[in-house]
Amino acid sequence: MQKKSHLKIILGVLVIVGALVYLLYSATRSNTQYFMTVRELRDRQEQLSDQKLRLSGAVIGESIHYDPLTLDLSFEVADIPGDHRLIEQMGGMAKVLADAVADPNAARLTIRYHGVKPDLLKNEAQAIVTGKLDANGDFQAAELLLKCPSRYESALPEQAGD
Amino acid sequence: MFYLGLACFGLAFLLFTAAFFGTIRNLLRKNHVIPRHVRFLSNLSFGFHTLSILALLWLQVSQDYSNAYVVSVINPPMPTYLKMTALWGGMAGSLFFWSWIINFCLVLGLNRRHILQNNWALLLAQLNLIFFSAISLLIENPFKRVWELGDGSLTESLFSPETGARIYSGMTGFGLNPLLRHWGMVIHPPVLYIGFGAFLLPFAETLSRLILNQDHDDLVAQLRPWLLVAWIFLTGGIVLGSWWSYDVLGWGGYWAWDPVETASLLPWLVSTGLLHSLFLQQKRQIFKRVNLILILLTYLLILFSILMTRAGLLSSVHAFGASAITQPLLVFLAALSLLCGALLAWRWKCLKSGWEFRSFFSRDALFLYTLVLLSAVTLVCLWGLLYPLATRSVSGTQITLDRAFFDGAAAPLFVLLVLLMAVCPLVGWSLNSLKKLSKRAWLPVLTAFFGTAAALIWLTRSWTALLTIFIVLLGLAVLVAQTWLELKAAPRPLRAFWRRRARHGAWLVHAGILLIALGIVGVEALSQSIQGTLVPGDKMPLGRYAVELTAIDEDFENPEYLSVRARLNLWRGDKIIAQINPGQDLYESRSQYVSIPGKRSALTGDFYTLLLDYDPAMGYAVIQATLNPLVNFMWIGAFLLCLGAALSLSAPIAPEPPDAPTEPENDAL
Repeated sequence: MQKKSHLKIILGVLVIVGALVYLLYSATRSNTQYFMTVRELRDRQEQLSDQKLRLSGAVIGESIHYDPLTLDLSFEVADIPGDHRLIEQMGGMAKVLADAVADPNAARLTIRYHGVKPDLLKNEAQAIVTGKLDANGDFQAAELLLKCPSRYESALPEQAGD
Repeated sequence: MFYLGLACFGLAFLLFTAAFFGTIRNLLRKNHVIPRHVRFLSNLSFGFHTLSILALLWLQVSQDYSNAYVVSVINPPMPTYLKMTALWGGMAGSLFFWSWIINFCLVLGLNRRHILQNNWALLLAQLNLIFFSAISLLIENPFKRVWELGDGSLTESLFSPETGARIYSGMTGFGLNPLLRHWGMVIHPPVLYIGFGAFLLPFAETLSRLILNQDHDDLVAQLRPWLLVAWIFLTGGIVLGSWWSYDVLGWGGYWAWDPVETASLLPWLVSTGLLHSLFLQQKRQIFKRVNLILILLTYLLILFSILMTRAGLLSSVHAFGASAITQPLLVFLAALSLLCGALLAWRWKCLKSGWEFRSFFSRDALFLYTLVLLSAVTLVCLWGLLYPLATRSVSGTQITLDRAFFDGAAAPLFVLLVLLMAVCPLVGWSLNSLKKLSKRAWLPVLTAFFGTAAALIWLTRSWTALLTIFIVLLGLAVLVAQTWLELKAAPRPLRAFWRRRARHGAWLVHAGILLIALGIVGVEALSQSIQGTLVPGDKMPLGRYAVELTAIDEDFENPEYLSVRARLNLWRGDKIIAQINPGQDLYESRSQYVSIPGKRSALTGDFYTLLLDYDPAMGYAVIQATLNPLVNFMWIGAFLLCLGAALSLSAPIAPEPPDAPTEPENDAL
C-alpha cells in the first residue's frame, strides 16, 4: 500500500510540474515584449511589425497633439539609451532627456495613443510605451507611462492604461 | 538636532558593532550562552538608534530645510502626521527606518526566550543589522545637509565639503509625492517592514542550528509564533498596498504584477508553503529538510525583494531608481545564499526525515500538493522577474513579460490551489475512499451548484469565472458545514470553538482566501467599464446604472493644490441612489495631478468613477465609470485572513505524544 500510494503521489506532483512547464512555455511565448530604444526600433523596423514592443524615449514637447473630445493623442519621442549605467555616465536621466530633445539628429518616432492626456506628458519627460508598430511606421501605444526625473525626488510615474 | 541625530546613529552603530565583536569573542571561547554585557550593549544600541530616529522625525516636523532628506520629502503645507510618516517616504529615510526595524526585532528576540538564544543566531542577526546600518550610514545617510559652495552651486554631504562652504536652507521641498499621501500608504511600508524583519529571527535561528548541528525536532514549536506574526504582517502589508493602489492610483487596479509587487509576493508564497509544511513536521515528523530550506529561502527572497525595490534593476512604478546600494546589497545577498547552500549541503545527511504519506488523497498529501503549487507560482513570478534581466545580458535586447504573462501562467495555478483548499477539510488524515468523501461532500457540492447556476443567470457567461465561483462556493460551503457539524456535536459549542481555535483560525484564513478569490473574479471577469465626455445634464448608462453630470466645481482653498470635483448623480432605474464626486487634485508646483476616485461601495460591488479630464471653459468632463462587482469581498477576505491567523496564533500548540493515535479530525495549525 505504501509503495503504491507513493507512486501516485509522485504522479500527482509530476502533473503539477508538467502544468507549470506548459504554462511557463505558453505564457512566455505569447506575451513577450521587446524593450527597445527608438534607434534599435528604427534600425529593425521591417522585422518588427506585429511584435509587441516596449519602448522608452524623450518626449518632444512641441510635437504633442491632443483632441480632448475624441481623446486622440500623438507625440514624438527622441532616442535615449536603454541602459541605466550608461545614462548615469552621461550625467543622469534629466540631462540625457534634455540632450535627446535638443539633438536634431536623434532618431525619432511618432507615438499614437487613444485616451486622456496624462499631465506628466510634457517636454523632456521620459515616456515608456507599450504597443505595436502600425502600417505607417507609427507606434500605436496601448499603454503609456511617464516619468519626470528631478534632482530632489525619486520620480513616480503616472499610469494610464487601456 | 543634526548633531544629536547623527551622533546617536553613530553611537548606536558603534555599540552594536561592539556587541558583534563581543559575540565573536564568545564564539571563539566556545561559550554558547549569550553573556549579559552583549545583551546590555544591544539594548543600549537600540535606545540610541531610537533617539536618532526621533531626531530625524524632529528635523522633519520642524521643517529643517538644511537637511537634504527633509528637502526631498517635506514641504510646508503638508499636515504634521504626513511630515512624520515621510520618514519612510524616500530612499534614505526608509533604509534608515528599515535598519531600526531590524534592530527592534533583534532586541525583541534577544530579550524574549525561545529565540535568538545562542551566539551563532545572534551573530547572524547582528550581521544583517550591521550591513543595513552601514549602507544607511555610509551611502544613503538621511542626515546629509545641503551646502552652498563658493561658486554658488549646491551639494549635499554630512560635513562641510570644502572650506568656505555654507549650510544652505533656502530650498523648500516639493513634499511627499501626492500619490503617497493616503493612509493606506502611510502604514503600508512599516507593516511590510515588520513582516520582513520578523522573518530575520527564524532565519538566524535556523542557520545557527545548522552550524551547531542541533536537533531540529522542536523547531516548529519554537519558530511557529514568530513565523505566524511575520506572516500576518507580510500579508497585511501586501493587502494594504493593493488597497492603496485600488483607491489612489486612479486606474482602479488592485494588482498590476509590477516587478516590486511581484517581488514582495515571493516571500509570501514561500512562507505560506512553509506554514503548511511546518505543520506536517509537527504532525508527522516529516519534511524537516523542506522546512529548513523554506525558512532560509523566505528571508533570502525578502532580501531579493528589497534589492528589486531599491536597485532600479527593472523599471517599476514603485522603484526608488538606480542607486549606489545595488552592488553591496547584491554581494550581501549572494554571500548569504552561498552560506545557506553550503551549510545545508554540509548537514544534509543529519537532517534525514521520512516522507511517508498514508495515501495519495489524504490530507497530508494535499499539503504536499499545496506546497508544490505554491512553489510553482513562486517560480512563475521569479521567471517573469528575471526573464528581462536574463535576456538583456544574453542578447542585449531586454525582453519583458507583461501582465498577461503573469495572469496566464499564475492564474490556473491559483485556481488549482483554491480547489485544494476547498476540498481539504473533507479529506481525512488517513486513507480515504471516494465513498466516504462523497458522503460528506454532497451537500456543499449541491449548494455550490445552485450558487453557480444563479451566477450563470445573473452575472456572467464566462466559463472560467463560473468555474472559479463554483470552487469558491464549494470551499465556503464545506468550511461552514464542517464547522457547523463539529460545533453541533459539542456540548458547549463556544468553548469547543475556543479550545480548537488553532484549527478554526486556519479555516478562517482559508475562508478569507476564498473570499479574496471571489473578489478577484469580480474585478477580472465581471467588471464593466465605459468612458465618455459629458456636459452638465448628460447621462451615461452602465448596466442597470447611469451617471449624470450636474456640475464641475473648482476649489482653490488648499494652498498646495487646486481641487476639482465632478458632481455626479448615480441613477439606478429612475431613482437617484447616490451622489459621487470623482475629481483631481492638481499640484501646480510639481505639475502633477492625483485622481480622486468617486465611489459608491456596497457588498455587491463598487460603482467606481474617475474624472479623467475636464475643461472649465467649455464645461465638459471626461468620466470613466466602472462597475466592479464583488470587489469588496477582497478586503473582507483579507481582514478575515489576518483575524484567522491571529486566532491561530493565540493558541498554544500542544506537543503530541509520538505514538498518539492520529484521529482524522485532530489537527491544529
